Amino acid sequence: MNSSNSNSNNGQSNSCKSSNFDNLNQDLGLHFLELARIGSSKTPVEMEEDEEEAPKELNTINSSGGFLVVAPDKLSVKYTSVSLHGHDVGVVQADKPAPMRRLLYYFEIYVKDAGAKGQIAIGFTNEGFKMRRQPGWEVNSCGYHGDDGLLYRGQGKGDAFGPTYTTGDTVGGGINYASQEFFFTKNGAIVGTVSKEKEMKGHLFPTIAVHSQNEEVHVNFGQKKFAFDVKEYEAQERLKQQMTIEKISLPPNISYGLVRSYLLHYGYEDTLNSFDLASKSTIPPICIAQENGFDEQDVVYALNQRKTIRQLIRNGEIDAAMNKLRDWYPQIVQDDKSAACFLLHCQKFIELIRVGALEEAVKHGRIELYKFFGSAEADDPFDDLVQKCVALLAYERPQESPVGYLLEESHRDVVADTVNAMILSTNPKMKDVHGCIQSYLERLLRQLTACCLERSANGGQGETFHLHRLLNSSREI
Amino acid sequence: MASSKKLISREEWEKRLNNVKIRKEDMNKLVMNFLVTEGNVEAAKKFRMESGTHHIDLATITDRMAVKKAAQCGNVKDAIEKINDLNPEILDTNPQLFFQLQQQRLIELIRNGKVEAALEFAQEELAPRAEENQSFLEELERTISLVAFEDTSNCPVGELLDISQRLKTASEVNAAVLTSQSNEKDPKLPSLLKMLIWAQNKLDKKAAYPCINDLSNARLEDPTF
Repeated sequence: MNSSNSNSNNGQSNSCKSSNFDNLNQDLGLHFLELARIGSSKTPVEMEEDEEEAPKELNTINSSGGFLVVAPDKLSVKYTSVSLHGHDVGVVQADKPAPMRRLLYYFEIYVKDAGAKGQIAIGFTNEGFKMRRQPGWEVNSCGYHGDDGLLYRGQGKGDAFGPTYTTGDTVGGGINYASQEFFFTKNGAIVGTVSKEKEMKGHLFPTIAVHSQNEEVHVNFGQKKFAFDVKEYEAQERLKQQMTIEKISLPPNISYGLVRSYLLHYGYEDTLNSFDLASKSTIPPICIAQENGFDEQDVVYALNQRKTIRQLIRNGEIDAAMNKLRDWYPQIVQDDKSAACFLLHCQKFIELIRVGALEEAVKHGRIELYKFFGSAEADDPFDDLVQKCVALLAYERPQESPVGYLLEESHRDVVADTVNAMILSTNPKMKDVHGCIQSYLERLLRQLTACCLERSANGGQGETFHLHRLLNSSREI
Repeated sequence: MASSKKLISREEWEKRLNNVKIRKEDMNKLVMNFLVTEGNVEAAKKFRMESGTHHIDLATITDRMAVKKAAQCGNVKDAIEKINDLNPEILDTNPQLFFQLQQQRLIELIRNGKVEAALEFAQEELAPRAEENQSFLEELERTISLVAFEDTSNCPVGELLDISQRLKTASEVNAAVLTSQSNEKDPKLPSLLKMLIWAQNKLDKKAAYPCINDLSNARLEDPTF
């Protein structure tokens, strides 16, 4: 724990095979070039996910046409004929299935006229549903019926569920993905919930049905305010889930350990020293012993040097940083065409533009950057970045231009992180490339994101996880 | 074993992991949030310098840490004074916390063998509050019963003398001050780690995929059926 001041290895005595190192160099460098590209988008990165579409209106194409009429605004339906049996129900689905990547989905109907027998239903059905049957009378469907207040789940006999409903009532139906339940409401109050049976997989369409003469129902997919406070319900359900999660126990001091290894990984030496000092004087003192599985030897490597070079890059002193690298880790700056060198040269260019030394910038560009132009490959990250850097020259106020992000501190940080990873890769004990690029903390965050994505994408098991959104909203997780 | 579990190969999973986009700035924010809520002022300041991550006024942390330290050391009178200096409303709006602090003070008096002072304190400060509140009354009775024992290590309420009691109080004081400074009271990182464990448990039921069992080294284990 106290070895942060010893720099026994300065890289020059390494005996890495040069070809292995070059390959590593390549992978690492390219990874960071891609990162530099992310920095260019101002929108939160999660926008790249497909936006899920939500139902907006009724589907007139597959409804049981002969028995009902859908209004031109596609938000209300009327049963026009006289019902004779159980196979002439007027059923309409929404135009889109209920979106799954969220905590819950909800919609409402308003019974304008319960007609002759009030045989109205609200529920969910799957794509291939037989459109002449009440939702709930067939498998893979469920329906809460107004005439008897029963809940039907895939068979002709319903279960006692709630009150009946009729003209003037507002009834809602929803899917709670967190608890895997359907829930229904009447006039702003919850009627009940029922488990979403295993058969009800796949996409579920909000569905309404009318079955006796003159029944008329209006539907609301969120365009108007709901009678039921679904936001409040969602908040409560989210809270329930959070409380379940909070009860999980963690290994002792795991957070301390992960933060510590993060600081070590990126070379934040001063922070680390303060951190260690404080850990010793807390009550009780926090010990992060080797037994916890932290492979310290791997990351304490060259801590002081990494910190020094990072500070130089963060201050825009690229020449000084490169000189230090030549002294300490010549193998990193040996290949002029490597991604690390490229990023450093680009950064030097950017720094010259920042101080308005345009002539010098051009000179520098002609010497060092020209070779990266005009690559044959499509979408070449080198070509992309060099073009963006040069574009800075075209603007009187480059920081306000579309490529202005290159002038931000965050871009200096990408370069610093690249060099940091390259230095870590010179450690003979470093087993894999990943160890140089990603701290343990980052790996855990990626795993969390991937798990939530898999859960939500397959069978609507909940919300996806977005670190950026979470940190920038005031809501507690 | 349910055979309907979906299998996701290591290769496929690693591809997905690499596709996740995580910004360095966000990770820095998470770390800064941890340093700040844990009250590590010096480290937070250094982190701001070394990483450029911002946080609201770091000076407020020093004040909060002084309060926490006082409570941890059992200097309750001092802690109360400091809290009131910071913001008198904190204890006004938090009768439960105030009672807990007074209770701790009583415990410290008993611990130091100052039985007469303890009883006087209990009668003057705690009893009036206990009259209005059943749970306060019960706590008061529990605490006072300590004086009846010569050997407190064996008595039923001995745990009140435990250092963990002090730490609990200190931690709640810390949270109350944090909340009043309109910060969130808990660091986000532990909740994220819990979320990871929870998400993996849930996903386990539906899929076989590489999971991380040891959070401290974030190692991916191959999927097993």
